[in-house]
Amino acid sequence: MTVSLNAYLFVSGLLFAIGFFGVILRRNTLVIYMCLELMLNAVNLALVAFSRYHNSMDGNLFVFFIIAVAAAEVAVGLAIIVALYRKRQTVMVEELAELRN
Amino acid sequence: MNYNGFQELASTNQWGAIWPELVMAGIAILVLCLDLFLPSTRKRIIPTFAIASQLGLLGVLVLGCGCEVGTSGPLFGGMIESGPYLGYMRAFFVLSSALVCYLAISYLSRQNLPRSEFFLVTILVSASMMLLVQSSNFVMLFVALETVTIGFYVLVSYCRYSAFSLEAGLKYLILGALSSAILLFGIVLLYGAASNPALKGATSDAMNFTELGKFIAQNAHEPLVLIGATLVICGICFKIGAVPFQIWVPDVYQGAPTPVTAFLAISSKAAGFFVLMNLIIGPFAHLTALTQPLLSAIAIITILFGNLTAIGQRNVKRVIGLSGIAHAGYLLIAIVAMTNPQGASLAPWAIIFYLFAYLFASFAIFGVMVHLAGAADEFQELEHYQKLAERQPFLAGVLAIGLGSLAGIPPLAGFIGKLLIFIAAFQAGLYVLLGAAIIGVVISIYYYFGWIREAFFVKPTLPGDEAKQAYPMPGAVGIFHKVMLSLLVILTVVLGLFQRGIFGG
Repeated sequence: MTVSLNAYLFVSGLLFAIGFFGVILRRNTLVIYMCLELMLNAVNLALVAFSRYHNSMDGNLFVFFIIAVAAAEVAVGLAIIVALYRKRQTVMVEELAELRN
Repeated sequence: MNYNGFQELASTNQWGAIWPELVMAGIAILVLCLDLFLPSTRKRIIPTFAIASQLGLLGVLVLGCGCEVGTSGPLFGGMIESGPYLGYMRAFFVLSSALVCYLAISYLSRQNLPRSEFFLVTILVSASMMLLVQSSNFVMLFVALETVTIGFYVLVSYCRYSAFSLEAGLKYLILGALSSAILLFGIVLLYGAASNPALKGATSDAMNFTELGKFIAQNAHEPLVLIGATLVICGICFKIGAVPFQIWVPDVYQGAPTPVTAFLAISSKAAGFFVLMNLIIGPFAHLTALTQPLLSAIAIITILFGNLTAIGQRNVKRVIGLSGIAHAGYLLIAIVAMTNPQGASLAPWAIIFYLFAYLFASFAIFGVMVHLAGAADEFQELEHYQKLAERQPFLAGVLAIGLGSLAGIPPLAGFIGKLLIFIAAFQAGLYVLLGAAIIGVVISIYYYFGWIREAFFVKPTLPGDEAKQAYPMPGAVGIFHKVMLSLLVILTVVLGLFQRGIFGG
């Protein structure tokens, strides 16, 4: 049995949607950050699937760039979250809202 | 790919064509080396070195516009391609980077923060912006864009002793990463559609703008293409701060260090517009049925939202941020005009002129803000500008001219910029957008002049006001700061009076 391209795209779209709504609805900064990674991995899955089914290497190559960039983003992002935690002793979004009108 | 193919690819690797970017990266690395190896007594030369070398590069770029080293056409295997406006874009980013470094000197010494790293990240981000605006491949676009974005995460949260700066950094981080993911998903859908062998005109190089443009010309109604293009435009709209992707703007602008706010408001926004320009005339040229209504709707909401929310603000950084949203809206009108054959010739020049006028006026205002800001950088209120004209007439004059240019008062540069955009919109027949823009300009005059009024006119003191202490004015303006502000003001006035000769348009 072969899995069709549409099945991969469905899973990828689902992961992307879960990640998107996670970013919007969750309250914990770390969980939000994981949801962002989920979105990037949904993109990676779609890229690899397209690349495999359309016989084009570009998608596979792009995945490496995305993984490298995501790693850099996590390095900077976690540093900011840790620094903020030291300062405020919380990672919950609603308690991190000092910048207001 | 066979041997000849590789040879052909290798022959497009012309490093000479991207020498300004390489020089910028070299300056950044030299700054780091100087910081490492110089004895601490002589580290004072680092800021001078960083700014002087960038100004030198800018001078070479401006004077040597005629003797471009590289050739036009695709370079590095189709990764980058220099368009007709590249010289202006490069000059824009180098100038902006030098001015941000200059503003940072006084800010960083006041906050007692390390300087070399700030210059390093600023210059590297500017170099990748210069690469971003000439990328003609989605891989290149993504990598350059992420270099810019990750650099900005660092810069926004640079003041790591301040919870506000860190909070702004966190907000920018989450929303920036979200927009990157949306942009990426759009790229993937476009790639998936264009590489599909079942479709007419499928290409093996689906990430390339030219190939993708050819594919889209034949499949403009493919749903995957439409969704993908919409997502890519949404991702870019986040960077320029257009509604409904503007939620990060006021908070991040307020929390970020003031020089970084300037960098975000000017360079980052300009980079977004230049990329959008490349996309609209490049791969999305045959998608006008989608881009025209989409961008028009975004432009109208952006102008009205930006101007209306800026009215009630008391914090000047938020005023700058929200009025910057409105400026993004005006620029979007020119982008829409570009999709129309009648407006296509003038609109790109209008965008470039507008951005330069915005750069001079904004840096003049940020120069005043940096000088007046106290230790609490996040809370620069309009009240702090009270009686500025009495106490520091020079700064008040600079502020008035800068704000006047942003509001579009003739004969300043901002007026000509708006006029050019309106003419382009008129040529393209965008009357609804024109109406929205004129309403926006009228509203904007109200809050810009509220700021000027605060500085120039003394409020009648009510009983009970005596208890409130007047905001302590910092000392006199240094000679360098005076020269820089005067230059920016002179450029604002000169660009308003003489446009021909400076710009080809």
